[in-house]
Amino acid sequence: MDNKLKINLLNLGFITIKLLVTFLLISLIILLLGGSPSEVMESIIYGAFGKPQKIVKTLLIWAPIALASLALLITFSAGLWNIGIEGQIIAGSIGATIIARSALGESIASPYIQIFIGLIFGGLWGLLCGFLRVKFNVHEIFGGLGLDFVASGLIVYLIIGPWKRAGIASTSGTDIFPDASWLPTLGKYNFQIIPLVLVIGSFLIIFILIKYTNLGLRLRATGINPSSTSRYKINSSLYFYYAFAIAGALAGIAGVVQAAGFHHKLVPAISGGYGFLSILIVLASSRNPIITMILSFFFASMIAGGSQLQLRLDLHSSMISIILSSIVLIWLVMRSSYLNNMFNKITSRLNLEK
Amino acid sequence: MTYFEPSFITIISLSAPLVFVVIGETITERSGVVNLSVEGTILITALTAFAVAISTNNASLGVLSAGLVGSLIALIIVLCDIKLNMNQIAVGFVLTILCGKLSSFLGQNYVRIPGPSLPKVDLPILKNIPYIGPSLFNQNILVLLSVLLIPMAWFFLYRTQFGLNLRSVGENPTSSMSRGINPELMRILGTIIGGFLIGIGGAAFSLHAKYGWSEGHTGNYGWICLAIVIFGGWNPIRAALGAYAFGAFQLIALKMQSITIGFTQVLPLIPFPLMIMTLIFIQMFNGEKRRKLPVLLKPIIGGIEPGSLGKPLKKEK
Repeated sequence: MDNKLKINLLNLGFITIKLLVTFLLISLIILLLGGSPSEVMESIIYGAFGKPQKIVKTLLIWAPIALASLALLITFSAGLWNIGIEGQIIAGSIGATIIARSALGESIASPYIQIFIGLIFGGLWGLLCGFLRVKFNVHEIFGGLGLDFVASGLIVYLIIGPWKRAGIASTSGTDIFPDASWLPTLGKYNFQIIPLVLVIGSFLIIFILIKYTNLGLRLRATGINPSSTSRYKINSSLYFYYAFAIAGALAGIAGVVQAAGFHHKLVPAISGGYGFLSILIVLASSRNPIITMILSFFFASMIAGGSQLQLRLDLHSSMISIILSSIVLIWLVMRSSYLNNMFNKITSRLNLEK
Repeated sequence: MTYFEPSFITIISLSAPLVFVVIGETITERSGVVNLSVEGTILITALTAFAVAISTNNASLGVLSAGLVGSLIALIIVLCDIKLNMNQIAVGFVLTILCGKLSSFLGQNYVRIPGPSLPKVDLPILKNIPYIGPSLFNQNILVLLSVLLIPMAWFFLYRTQFGLNLRSVGENPTSSMSRGINPELMRILGTIIGGFLIGIGGAAFSLHAKYGWSEGHTGNYGWICLAIVIFGGWNPIRAALGAYAFGAFQLIALKMQSITIGFTQVLPLIPFPLMIMTLIFIQMFNGEKRRKLPVLLKPIIGGIEPGSLGKPLKKEK
């Protein structure tokens, strides 16, 4: 008992050290880039949580990032690099725009139909990547990337072509959606409940799916060793399709939130780079659903808070992405087997002494 | 002929950055390491080259420093691989994002400003060769080097002991170790040399093919280059041919631009579906299926992936 407590304390100590090291290194990076760490952090915290409407906005930014991260949990569990997630987000937002621009766009049910269609579009776009992988053996990194760029070509074409605003064809976006097609808001700060419900619902589904269902077990088995699963009569290809379809559907919903909840129109950069950002999140969280959610909230707060860096401190907006990707790199290094072995050695030495 | 001759030279000139990058990545992957950070590396090295060229007023120094930065990034990846046992793809992806964003941040003051240009080579005899002479040997030094690099890389990989060792480590590190080759050292050297070439490729963007600097300057060609390496079947000559094919495509796209107005925004994205289709075509002939090909076709299409590509070295205890 005493021993167990000791090991737990030791683990806590290691995590604290890791966080401290990360913190110091990030401060150093900010200094090197010409900012003041305390000012930058203060500005980020104020920008993300300073006022009620800022918190509402942070939550709205969190929703698509969390959805995309959950999507990637599924594909990473199956051992797949779903770099095509950006394209899947775009596909979902295109689906939402089709509904918002149709006759259904004026009806009260429009947001829900958008979510459904976005889910289908994203899922199909994801399946396309799975199809390339399974049928043509095109590695999902290249297939996914190709489809990402195809999707961004498609969205630009739609915005300057068939869906251009009356009179002008510019890449600034389509017409604003009709009011009925916006995700409904509550209260005077325009709080949107639907994205949060979607995130929590998807989290529960994914958590149970991965941990407690046969499908999740088989997905993970496929991820660990795709060739050995055939001995247990598991059809790896089938599970690749499942993974891509589920991930695509979640990413598609993220696209709907971006279009109908955040921008209220279709813009070329609808994904906001959240897909690639989510890959970083899932890499850093070592595929643990709970850590993924916490980390995605942290990343979303950084992005929400960082949007003011340019205005307040005259620092280029790419500063936040630099900080976030550095954090992921630092964590990956600290989690590497070399350092882990070192930690394990210390722990086991303490065990022996007891 | 008068129409095609300048086009031919333009393709060689336009593809110079791609040639450097694909050959660099081919050498890297031959040693068993995937340097996925190409897109980020060429962005940051393009900026490095341009910034150094401006501050020292010497373009050649810019090229050199770009190569060194490329090597440095490659070194990070290979050290994470062999010393820390980390996933090469994961490190490469994070570095892609990090370097790309870093280039946006550090390049703010260099957007669309003029700078020094590369020295032109002046070869007195070769210049007088009819047709290709005046245009090919009147280019800047990077274009000439990119052409010379192709046979050099081939010679290096297939006709030197060092190249043989490099390829054997990429194929099977354990058995090459039993032949007295140090797999770790070979991986480090292969990746650093490859990274240097990728860095020069980045410099060739900002100092030659797409002169200057802007955010996201290299226009996602890093990803295309990774696909061209597969297209080239891990052979430097075929990879370079793939790069020229994409250069030709770029040129056609540029010429079409004047015909199809309003299509401009979509045009730069056309290489990507092309990339998917090429990969589908190539995968049909890769690996096992390649054996069934007629002998004459074997050197032209298909290729076999280096055996240990992307895998960590196994430590024998």
